[in-house]
Amino acid sequence: MSRKFEEMLEELKEVVKKMEDPDTGLDESIALYEKGAALIRECERKLADAELKVTEVTEK
Amino acid sequence: MDQDPAVPWQEPAPVVLGVAEISGIISDALDDERLQEIWIRGEITSYKHHHSGHRYFSLSEQVSGRNYAIKCIMWQSRAQGLDFEPRDGLVVIALGSVQVYEARGDLGFYVQEMLPAGAGEKHLLVEKWKKELAAEGLFAEERKRPLPAFPARVGVVTARTGAVLQDILNVIGRRFPIEIVLSPTAVQGDLAHVEIARAVRILDGQVEVIIVARGGGSFDDLFPFNHPEVVRAIACCCTPVVSAVGHEVDHVLADLAADRRAPTPSAAAELVVPDRAEVAREVGGSLDRMRNALEKKVQAAGLLIEDLKSRLQPRRIGRRINDSREEVSEIEEDLNRAILAKIERGRGELGRLVALLEGRSPATILSRGYCIAEKDGRVVRAAGDLRTGDRVRLRMSGGRADTRIEKVYHE
Repeated sequence: MSRKFEEMLEELKEVVKKMEDPDTGLDESIALYEKGAALIRECERKLADAELKVTEVTEK
Repeated sequence: MDQDPAVPWQEPAPVVLGVAEISGIISDALDDERLQEIWIRGEITSYKHHHSGHRYFSLSEQVSGRNYAIKCIMWQSRAQGLDFEPRDGLVVIALGSVQVYEARGDLGFYVQEMLPAGAGEKHLLVEKWKKELAAEGLFAEERKRPLPAFPARVGVVTARTGAVLQDILNVIGRRFPIEIVLSPTAVQGDLAHVEIARAVRILDGQVEVIIVARGGGSFDDLFPFNHPEVVRAIACCCTPVVSAVGHEVDHVLADLAADRRAPTPSAAAELVVPDRAEVAREVGGSLDRMRNALEKKVQAAGLLIEDLKSRLQPRRIGRRINDSREEVSEIEEDLNRAILAKIERGRGELGRLVALLEGRSPATILSRGYCIAEKDGRVVRAAGDLRTGDRVRLRMSGGRADTRIEKVYHE
């Protein structure tokens, strides 16, 4: 899990919001759908790949 | 009062006060901040637990071989709050005020709170620290920062062994496994506060959120988490901190300095990472929402096309042409009607004219017995037109006759 996941999730929310906006045209919506679907795939991959790792702090 | 001049001078009578009056003076005298809401340390003697629930005892102290004591009263309503059973010989600290019970003239220390001396003094120390640290602004609400939504690395300050670390690992492993960086420390003991503060500082900046945790324990066990050194380390930490010390009911000053307080270490773990299944559901839900949105747009576009198509159909154009045609033919008919009417009118007029003409035609005149004289093909209109010997044709009803003029008479 990285900060990137958070950004991807934010981007995905934006995509959905834009698609649900009645002012967004069909062409743009199709492009958004492709972008959103790719983001979802990436998010799901990251969620599935998450792994517990325990380390001990090292002195600065 | 007027003095009778006859009576010789006497000493004035001594002032005599009422009991109520002197009680009032005593009360006033006791109304001194040195005697109100104060803590007294002393050994309990002559302890009596009255059946009404009130406690009567003395607090005593020996100084330089001399005994000092003050009578104490703790009403049942206050005694309910005691978390130990007082007994003779116990050294305590008590909060209260010196007052006089006017109905009996008893002067005593009316106790509101009482604690065993050792632990009690630690409580007081915590209260003092709390005031000082609050005055420094370390507990201010505006210092609190939000926790990151999806931390990649979580720092944990706690003992290397024990249930607390295991609980945190279990919860994070179950909800959203990520990297956990342990900063091990002693969590109790005389120097624990130094270690805890150091463990926090080492982690700062190396992780995205820090959990400072300890399992349940006595007030003394949790005491290091009240220490200003720990409080300052947490307050000055650039990384957001979640405190989880003891159980739900335990409160330490570290909680006040942390960005969030969790009732238990497990609860802290739940606070710092989201539930992966929930996030996955949200992500999956996004797909549904996108599909719905797209479907709606496709449907709307389809409807629009249908509408345009129907408006462009030849059938509709044909209908429009027919409409125009009908209009034209109607106009045509109107025109025809108007022309016919005109013709009709003309015909009538013509008939009248014909009749009129017929009345004037030569034939009609001839039939009445007149003749028309013609000379050289022209009608003879006057006698002057004729000469003797002229050949004249006479037209009359039923034929003509050629004649010669014998004589012309002018009139």
